Amino acid sequence: MLKKVITLCYRKIIDAGNTSYWDKFVHEDSFAEFKMQAQFYNQEQQFTTFAEMLLNIPEAEKLHFLVSAAITGYLRQLNGIIPDILDNLGRRFLTFENFKFEIINSDINDPEKHKVAVNFFSKPLIWHSTIDNLLLVSQFKETDEEETFTNLFQLQPFVSIHSIKNMH
Amino acid sequence: MERKNFIRSLMIGAISTPVIIEACKKSSIMDGTNTSGSGTAGTTASTNGTCTVAPTETEGPFPTKVPASYVRSDITDGRSGYKLTVKITIGNLNNNCAGLAGAIVDIWHCDAEGNYSEYGGTGMQSTNYQSVHFLRGRQTTDANGLVTFTTIFPGWYSGRATHIHVHVYNAAGTSLMVTQIAFPEGAGTSVALVNGYSKGLTGYTYNNADNVFSDDKTGIEIATVSGTLAAGFDLTFKVNVKA
Repeated sequence: MLKKVITLCYRKIIDAGNTSYWDKFVHEDSFAEFKMQAQFYNQEQQFTTFAEMLLNIPEAEKLHFLVSAAITGYLRQLNGIIPDILDNLGRRFLTFENFKFEIINSDINDPEKHKVAVNFFSKPLIWHSTIDNLLLVSQFKETDEEETFTNLFQLQPFVSIHSIKNMH
Repeated sequence: MERKNFIRSLMIGAISTPVIIEACKKSSIMDGTNTSGSGTAGTTASTNGTCTVAPTETEGPFPTKVPASYVRSDITDGRSGYKLTVKITIGNLNNNCAGLAGAIVDIWHCDAEGNYSEYGGTGMQSTNYQSVHFLRGRQTTDANGLVTFTTIFPGWYSGRATHIHVHVYNAAGTSLMVTQIAFPEGAGTSVALVNGYSKGLTGYTYNNADNVFSDDKTGIEIATVSGTLAAGFDLTFKVNVKA
């Protein structure tokens, strides 16, 4: 039987309006780190926004990576569980090891303009079937078992199928 | 609702609309300076009515404030190489170069193969969060202006002599100095002993041909490095800043 193994990406957007503690910490700390690290590329403080820096100093692209160190401690606190995304029983069910942090917009003078995204990439899932508007998936395991526990969930805004592989 | 009342409610809507637009205009002009009110427009798209379930779990885990993952003394992160202890003293030029306490010092350098930690490849590529910032570290100077890092002896890559990057900030995070540390060269030095790891030193760029260090005729950018392959190396360096 043909099986499809997929990974999901959840792009969690965080700006000054987010209210949960985790989101606020990510926002505050990534803004503080952005202000510090941006000084390496923007030594004369010529530019204030991330967009201007990228436009004028192409190496400022590295700031996505450099600022991500401010948030990896918070990723660790999630204990490998992707936040916010629930199965049809109302439980978080996606696990992750991989991420990518992005600065969407920022301004060294204004934390209100600091907006970032944390992309969570799920561990591989087997996509068994689609029931109504729900995907039936289970954690991908190397060994074949007779019975597998599954999760039903609905694709939602900011969640996408990141990769797909056919298995025989 | 009676028809009359319904029409009235529509009219109220029509009257209040321009007021709302006006309010939006005001807040956008005031953006960033407005001290009244609280919060800003969120970005969470509405998922209401899409027939999804609400969270039904015990709350948690509860986040706690943590510093950037740079903040650690051992920056090795499992990278293999000869042990190197880096001791950097920050001096204050405005105080006869006496040790500057409370300064933040970032260092970073390449691994034995000459690679830096960074996002690789295309925009689609993801990274494991556990050890993504290898060979990058941050410490705050003690009362004597000293920070100490444990790392590996850097490798080299085409076009550059062996080096360590340093960025010094004051306690508030304002940049005071961006510089690089060069290594002594020649027979018996650490650079000769490590011999470029598996690459060897064929094609190596020495300090006098390096585009950063070649103008340093007096060796002010060259650290003191001692030690052996077996015991590891100790590097000491002084960076003077205006603080």
